[in-house]
Amino acid sequence: MIQKKICMLGSFSVGKTSLVRRFVATIFDEHYHTTIGVKIDKKIVKTDGGEVTLVLWDIHGEDVYQKMRMTYLRGMSGYLLVADGTRRQTLDDALALNERVVQEFGKLPSLLLLNKFDLTDQWEIDSSQMSKLAAAGWNAINTSAKTGDGVEGAYLRLAQAAQGK
Amino acid sequence: MAEQAQRRAPMALAQEKSTDNNHAYEELRHLIVAPETEGLAAVEERLDNLEKRTCDVSEVVAEAIEMRRATGDQALSDALAPTIQETLRESVRRDPHVLADALFPVMGPAIRKSITETLRGMLESFNEALDNSFSARGLKWRVEAMRTGKPFAEIVMMHSLLYRVEQVFLIHRETGLVLNHLVAPTVAAQAQDPDLVAGMLSAIQQFVRDSFKSKDSESLASLNIGDLQVWVEESPNAILAAVVRGHAPADFRQAMNEVLEDIQRYFSSALANFKGDAGPFRAADERLSKLLETRYKEAPEEKKKPRALLIAAGIAAALLLGWVLYVSYASWQWSRFLADLHKQPGIVVVSTATHGRSLHVEGFRDPLAADPKALVSQAGLDPEKADLQLAPYYSLDDAMVTKRAEKILHPPSTVRLSTKGGELVAEGSAPQQWITNLEERTPLIAGVTGLDESHLVNSNLQQLFTLKSSLESVILLFPLGRAELEPDQDQKIAEIETRLRELQSQADTFHQSVNVALVGHSDTTGIEGTNLVLSQQRAEQIRRLLLRNGIRRETLRPTGVGTTQPLRNEDSEEGRQLNRSVTFKVSFAPAGSAAANAAAAAASTSTNAPPATPPGN
Repeated sequence: MIQKKICMLGSFSVGKTSLVRRFVATIFDEHYHTTIGVKIDKKIVKTDGGEVTLVLWDIHGEDVYQKMRMTYLRGMSGYLLVADGTRRQTLDDALALNERVVQEFGKLPSLLLLNKFDLTDQWEIDSSQMSKLAAAGWNAINTSAKTGDGVEGAYLRLAQAAQGK
Repeated sequence: MAEQAQRRAPMALAQEKSTDNNHAYEELRHLIVAPETEGLAAVEERLDNLEKRTCDVSEVVAEAIEMRRATGDQALSDALAPTIQETLRESVRRDPHVLADALFPVMGPAIRKSITETLRGMLESFNEALDNSFSARGLKWRVEAMRTGKPFAEIVMMHSLLYRVEQVFLIHRETGLVLNHLVAPTVAAQAQDPDLVAGMLSAIQQFVRDSFKSKDSESLASLNIGDLQVWVEESPNAILAAVVRGHAPADFRQAMNEVLEDIQRYFSSALANFKGDAGPFRAADERLSKLLETRYKEAPEEKKKPRALLIAAGIAAALLLGWVLYVSYASWQWSRFLADLHKQPGIVVVSTATHGRSLHVEGFRDPLAADPKALVSQAGLDPEKADLQLAPYYSLDDAMVTKRAEKILHPPSTVRLSTKGGELVAEGSAPQQWITNLEERTPLIAGVTGLDESHLVNSNLQQLFTLKSSLESVILLFPLGRAELEPDQDQKIAEIETRLRELQSQADTFHQSVNVALVGHSDTTGIEGTNLVLSQQRAEQIRRLLLRNGIRRETLRPTGVGTTQPLRNEDSEEGRQLNRSVTFKVSFAPAGSAAANAAAAAASTSTNAPPATPPGN
């Protein structure tokens, strides 16, 4: 079976862990994030090219106290860039982070997830921003870790992208 | 009234008519439906009669069940199951043995099979546990297991395991993805998802590298978690990690290095172009499995074991050899004894058997045969160990017959008895009385068929003849011309008398009377006639002397032969002297027989016949 290393990138508390929690096999506790800055989970998805094992590196969100370790990203086949749709800042941070990643590793299959879509009343991303993102080449997906909306599809799309299909 | 009677009459008539009709109807009905009615009655009876119904069902019940079963319907099984269960339960309640006996042939194999399967499924650690169960150390561990509440097998493993490589990961260095992963069978159940472990491990590597700002080529070589260690080796494209329980020796790292280098070399392009497909790295299984090794602390002790085992085996072998030698020696002794016993005259061995160290012999033994217990002792064996069941019998063996004859006949030391083919042979000399006894009793001795006494001399007879010849050799000398003995001859008379008495007593044994002719001689000096008289006188003289000493008269017959029977030529004085003598001639005759009397008479006549004549010499 094909394996792919996929990283979950995004700011602190955008819901990366929540996005994987309900859909993956895991053996590691949450506190790995805070100790070594990464937690590894696994998700098997069925794509047109067969089953793919996604080894998800859920990397600790960046904040003012902790910079993300870029070395954790080495060898990844793609990544999910996660932002919190209720906090504009996280989207900017995500895009800035993406810049660094591209600079370090080149262009890789990736998806931008705008999470916490269930909290529509607090949603801070308007359609103009969405079109701006689209113009930058981002096909942003609204997801909700709480309801599961868009999550499964996001993994599948990334897996297919990572397989080059 | 009459009217009434008239009215009544047609009624009666009508009634009569109707009765007739009823009868006819009944008859008709009977004719039509009688067979059906009977048939119905028979069916009714059959249905009402429980016994008949049972009988009917019994005829078809087997076929019915068979037919229903053939339809493949579950209903029959469902219907019977509760009854069968109840029946079995009741059977067990009443007498569990019935069912137990019935199940016995299948229970044994089933249990055996189950046990075999279970044993086969046992883990390596459990085998180890079994090995240690009965030693003092095993006992100590058992106590520890009870104290700590851990399974015994775990305690054993903890103590006896030097190290065990439980898992080997081959990880793609850049992605942290698993290329290959092997788990020791004993820990397979406990192994975590290798994808996640490998990922985390490479994350940790990177974390450490980042945190301590080490160079890229430097990495975490090992992680220690209690008695568990993770040893890590890196090559340009791969990470080899081994999960080790216990303390692996330094050369294990060397082995890891060699394997990793080999893999790096062999799979270099596959590693460089890795795109997430671990398939090609299955081929590294063989290389990696070499690392999955287990070493026990027993290793040095095992060296001791064989030595102790060898010594024990040596002692056992020596004991066995000793025992075998002892047994074969004992057996040889017994067989030698048995061979001796077979040779013994008067003993017949019918059967022998050895029970352990004791010997059981059955057969027959002549009472005069050798004592078998003594033979056992002579053979150097313990008489207590020999059970000799020998029934008494008379042996016809010559040696035994001889022995029996000796016991019965008490032969004197001068007689030697032997037996040849049942004929008793007596040799030597024996008194008349014993010989008589021999002849009388020999036919009564068991096993004796005849008697050969041709070489047996009658000692009494021998003595008789010895006495006879000694008497006949005596020459009593007289002076010239005289009938009185020379003075020095008196002593001879006493001797003669003694011998005569002896002769008489010996002859009595044979019922013979003794006749002694006293023959008087004279020399040729003087006139012949006088010599004859003189010779008679000399014989008479001796008779007188002997009679005086109490010799029976009828025994002695004096006679004079003058010069007719000279003892010597008279060409010397010595010869003449010897011819002036009396000599003795002894003869025997059956006592009291006519011949004896006649002989006696003849002897006395001749003695008395010669008349007295002029003196001579």
